[in-house]
Amino acid sequence: MDGSMRAADWKIGVDIGGTFMDFCALDTRSGQIASLKVLTTPDDPGAELLTGLDLLAARDGLDPASVTRFVHGTTVGINTILQRKGARLALITNAGFEDVIELARLRMPKMYSLFCHRADPLIPRDRIFGINARMRADGSTPVAPALDDVRAAIDRARTAGAEGIIVSLLHSWRDGTQEAAVRAMIETEAPDLFTFTSSEVWPVIREYERSSTAILNGYVHPRVAGYLAALEDRLAARNVPAHALLTKSNGGLMSAGEGRRDCVSMLLSGTASGVMGAAWLARQAGEKRVLTLDIGGTSADFALIVDGAVQFGTDERIGDFPLHIPSVSVSSIAIGGGSIASVDSMGVLRVGPESAGSTPGPACYGRGGLDPTVTDAMAVCGWLGQAEMAYGQLSIDPALARASVSRLATPLGRGIEETAQAIIDIAVSELFVEVEKLSSRSGVDLRDFALMPFGGGGPMLGAFLARELGMSRVLAPRRPGVVSALGGLVADLRGDFLRTIFTELDAGAPTRLAAAFKALSREGAAWLAAQGHDGPAQIRLSADMRYAGQSYEIDTALEPAWLAEPARIAAAFHDTHRRIYDFDDPDGRIEIINLRLSAIGVTPKPDLAEAAPEAGAPATPARQVRVHLDGARDLPLYERAGLLAGARFDGPAVVCQEDTTLAIPDGARAHVDTHLNIHLDFAE
Amino acid sequence: MSDKMTLQVLANHARAAAENMAHTLHRTAHSAFVKETQDFTVMLMDRAGDTFAVPMDLGATWYPGLTYGRAIDMVDDYRPGDVAFTNDPYSCHVATHAPDTHLWKPVFHDGEIVAWTGGHIHNTDMGGAVPASLSRSLTEIHQEGIRFPPMKLVSEGVYDTQILRIMETNVRKPGLNIGDIKALVGALNTGERKVHGMLERFGKQNFLSGVAALKDQAEAQAREILRAIPDGEYRFADYADEDSDFANPCRLHLTLRIRDDAAELDFTGSDPQLGSSLNVPSGGDPRHTMLLVGVYYVLYTLNPRLLLNTGLTRPFTCIAPEGTVLNPLAPAAVGMRSLTCARLRSVIFGAFSQAIPDRMPAAPAGNNCIVNVMTHDERSGQKVIAAVNPVVGGGGGMPHRDGTNGSGADAAYLSNTPVEITETEVPVEFVRYGLAQDSGGAGRWRGGLATEMAFRVFAPDTRITARNRDRSRFRPWGVLGGRAAGLAEMVVNPGTPGERRMGSADTAVLQPGDVLSVRSAGGGGRGDPMLRETWRVAQDVARGHVSPHSARRDYGVVMCDGTVDETATKALRAKAQPHSDHFHFGPERDSYEAQWTLDAYDRLTGILMALPVHWRFFVKTEIFSRMDNRTGATGVDAAFDETCTRFPEIPGPAARAEAAQ
Repeated sequence: MDGSMRAADWKIGVDIGGTFMDFCALDTRSGQIASLKVLTTPDDPGAELLTGLDLLAARDGLDPASVTRFVHGTTVGINTILQRKGARLALITNAGFEDVIELARLRMPKMYSLFCHRADPLIPRDRIFGINARMRADGSTPVAPALDDVRAAIDRARTAGAEGIIVSLLHSWRDGTQEAAVRAMIETEAPDLFTFTSSEVWPVIREYERSSTAILNGYVHPRVAGYLAALEDRLAARNVPAHALLTKSNGGLMSAGEGRRDCVSMLLSGTASGVMGAAWLARQAGEKRVLTLDIGGTSADFALIVDGAVQFGTDERIGDFPLHIPSVSVSSIAIGGGSIASVDSMGVLRVGPESAGSTPGPACYGRGGLDPTVTDAMAVCGWLGQAEMAYGQLSIDPALARASVSRLATPLGRGIEETAQAIIDIAVSELFVEVEKLSSRSGVDLRDFALMPFGGGGPMLGAFLARELGMSRVLAPRRPGVVSALGGLVADLRGDFLRTIFTELDAGAPTRLAAAFKALSREGAAWLAAQGHDGPAQIRLSADMRYAGQSYEIDTALEPAWLAEPARIAAAFHDTHRRIYDFDDPDGRIEIINLRLSAIGVTPKPDLAEAAPEAGAPATPARQVRVHLDGARDLPLYERAGLLAGARFDGPAVVCQEDTTLAIPDGARAHVDTHLNIHLDFAE
Repeated sequence: MSDKMTLQVLANHARAAAENMAHTLHRTAHSAFVKETQDFTVMLMDRAGDTFAVPMDLGATWYPGLTYGRAIDMVDDYRPGDVAFTNDPYSCHVATHAPDTHLWKPVFHDGEIVAWTGGHIHNTDMGGAVPASLSRSLTEIHQEGIRFPPMKLVSEGVYDTQILRIMETNVRKPGLNIGDIKALVGALNTGERKVHGMLERFGKQNFLSGVAALKDQAEAQAREILRAIPDGEYRFADYADEDSDFANPCRLHLTLRIRDDAAELDFTGSDPQLGSSLNVPSGGDPRHTMLLVGVYYVLYTLNPRLLLNTGLTRPFTCIAPEGTVLNPLAPAAVGMRSLTCARLRSVIFGAFSQAIPDRMPAAPAGNNCIVNVMTHDERSGQKVIAAVNPVVGGGGGMPHRDGTNGSGADAAYLSNTPVEITETEVPVEFVRYGLAQDSGGAGRWRGGLATEMAFRVFAPDTRITARNRDRSRFRPWGVLGGRAAGLAEMVVNPGTPGERRMGSADTAVLQPGDVLSVRSAGGGGRGDPMLRETWRVAQDVARGHVSPHSARRDYGVVMCDGTVDETATKALRAKAQPHSDHFHFGPERDSYEAQWTLDAYDRLTGILMALPVHWRFFVKTEIFSRMDNRTGATGVDAAFDETCTRFPEIPGPAARAEAAQ
């Protein structure tokens, strides 16, 4: 079909990172793809959106009126928490339990330090008010909340200057009516204060985690709601017909309207949609088991895709706080292109966790940074600085890189290149520790995984890390800078719902499961309708289960038909337990803690046009460049744009493109597929 | 890889291997002790059995300096696939109480052993006189469960089923033990595989020299820290509330001698070995890891980039005389050595506090009490035994920060269980779980607050154990003008006519409807409380951490309708008398030490150390029972004379003569 003659139908994914707002736009009629990076405007979040739309209009002929889908991932929520600029909240909870959010789960990081401590809670103790109310674990209510008591708490919250109130009462996972009663009182007594209850945000058992999730939601609510209102106004001002969709931490989408109240589900949207985009690219490239590696200036994020599926967890953290909603599992370490190298008093070289960030950035950016960073080490070794970077917005000065690394080489008594290579080796070994932890936590053997590097720094270090991990394959996507923005474009609407039932898997369980399933299905259907979805829908059902006496549950995928058959559910649990923990206990009693349902509104997937089929196009280096890799060597440098499908070449080599550089070590055979991904294979 | 510049690469690979082992164990273990309390360790060891890498994310904090060398030597003829084990505290002093089961596995390369992987789990029960195998009242190791001296558990990959059967027959929860042991074997296999990966990555010679360099590096870091500490002799003592069912204090005494980049920890003057299970079986090893745990905390606090391995123990030499609480002879019971170890840490903290006052915090609460309940669930008709929660206290005031509330310092590795989970699984109803007002020591930097937990039970004869309870009598101390913290307590039915205060007891029996309240101690204060900014005091009052009464009395801050009356405060503070001693111990210890002076203890130590070991605790108890209206060394002499008169069987007057010198 000749799409170019028909009216355009643009779908745009926009993801905001620390330094850039990334655009990935696709015209489904012509197959045209446009990608773009625009510097962020921290003082006026959202303003860069218009700049980007204008640039796309001018450069790629994008007519805003032809945009039928607009998907956005924003960091406004997470930044609000990291910068502690959120709402002034009060918390109403049970008397006697006001310190739950400070005590948290007791255990602290840095447990060998006598100075270890927890972060200050987002709500200080003087804005936490206990009321006389009590629900028991079985749902009985010996003490119901009294209006006078709640009124007194509201008065004190108001005196303390609270803008909103979080209500979190014990055992509301079982029954949210006590919390709802308190909220109704607040709405009557103080309609100017916004309110969230812990059971409406995420009704999970475990009072600290449930309270913390509700508090995070309320904490970011005013800013997020304001940001989204402005976003919709901006889109309307450009006559964009599409209603904005938001990427969520669970890798799915929701409407911007939903996001104004369900703020907590978008907190990790950027990292999650990066993994979703990577999973989609991996599927296209035929890779089923993938380690994604997204390296920015200050940190590296990585995640596992197992048998084509993104992995989920419920114990992600936002800064210092647990976020107990289903999220795409992403691990992070503070090692990035801007990580600073230093030498300690023993003469041992270290990298990170301090970072030059985006300001002043690596020394070689020439913006005033003096400390040697990983990026400077790459520049000294000759991997960087061979071509223009970041769409011409950055340039690399190798002399500044050398000057910064010599600050360490001189006291070490080593050569500058040798020191630079040691910095790279150490940075890679820091990543190695965290990835090894992830793989052992997940019980996977990385040797049959492919590593997919993206972000500005992923392609620089990815192949080195793959070698360290004993991985034999690397998959380098064509547009590593806009994987998150792409992830939004390929995502489905997804709402997650949960009922904590805490029941033994016995003959009585099917009745309870059926009731919970019915309620969850109703919620899911209502949610999809509220997002304006009228396309095909799917549900995913699972349960958090454990053997009686265990204290951790595992999420076991179920089919609705099994709910009437405890034996079938038990078999699924035994299987899952054995897969993750290497053993099962066929005679053990099983408990079902939560039943989970995800309602998925399937969206049409863009069909990225394939490049010309592999024709054995030759890979011709643009030139030879001097790179320090176990000594100075002349390596071929390839321009990414010139590498066509079917091209093959051997490492070591350097591949340059506008937003990153792919470093290819010895022993790699490179091959460009029909989607223009570069596959590296390390022959053993 | 002995290249210093890139040593961090090897260090990272070693740590990744250790973290891998820890995750494998944590993921596959069966018991709550391993999964929730994280009472386990794993490590990589060099050819000699010295630890060179431990995980930083998971597990307990006690064993980075552990050496398995003695245990390794007690088993012959290692082959690939072998795993050896022991839980006997007296065979080689690797295990330190019977529930701790240590395993080790050789890593072969080209037919020779190049490294070991090892670790321990705390078994829920090893049999013996009481469930969980731990009770302070036990007096002999034989009451504390079955013991296995070092022997092979797995030979060339095959479990010795006879050993497993013997264990299954003798312990109360065999499924948990065997499951956890197999999980640990799995972790050792993971470690072995990772070491092979390192051998491939770095080559054998580079691996061996790199491992040696890692230990040298840790040693160099430790020595660098010590060099920055003024040379000198720093004496400190601290007390556990009770030494046994006889309920006399248990004293630990340390003389810390720092000379240049080395330190000697001389524990002479500590109590004789006890007729209870509070003994710490160090075997007199001058670098036994149990004696040095407090040192690890100090070193890591001073340099958070410290490599944790046996290298850092090299600059330290411990002296723990034989037959004392820190070096008991078999068959002294040792099950509850955790309580003594908490006090041992605070003794070390106190000595270092004198050496480097500017860089050390005040005393942490130091009572890592674990509350267990045994009751009847009326809903299911079942007997229930469950851990309710740890009740730990705050950290001490830091040089630039208040002590961490509710936990912190040397208790930060413990986790709690959510109230909602406990109430769903165990027939108890919480009345309160939170921080205790006025429990932190007053100071320029306030001590961390105590935790307070209260719950109601519903079945008759519900038995509570609150293991490791301490600090009900001797407070966590303040420093540099800061005050001692609030005491721990356990009370049945507080605030009712039937209130029962339980003193230092660690057990209680409850009846239906009874409420048990357990409170930890707080952390000590640091610096003069009169110098604390008034806004901080006002904030403490607003947050309920400090009462208005305490604000006035302890901080000289007069609160009026929630705000500070600056004028009245200034006047009140002008009259305050600062506490000029380095330490503030509180009235209980002051009055105790008015009787039991340093001289008195020196005399007591002289008397007891001159006696045969099996007489010492008996004579200590008898002397204590005769100290009414007596003080100091002369009081001890008189009490000892009276004891000798009553018990002429006490060996030789030579002992007295020697002591008198």
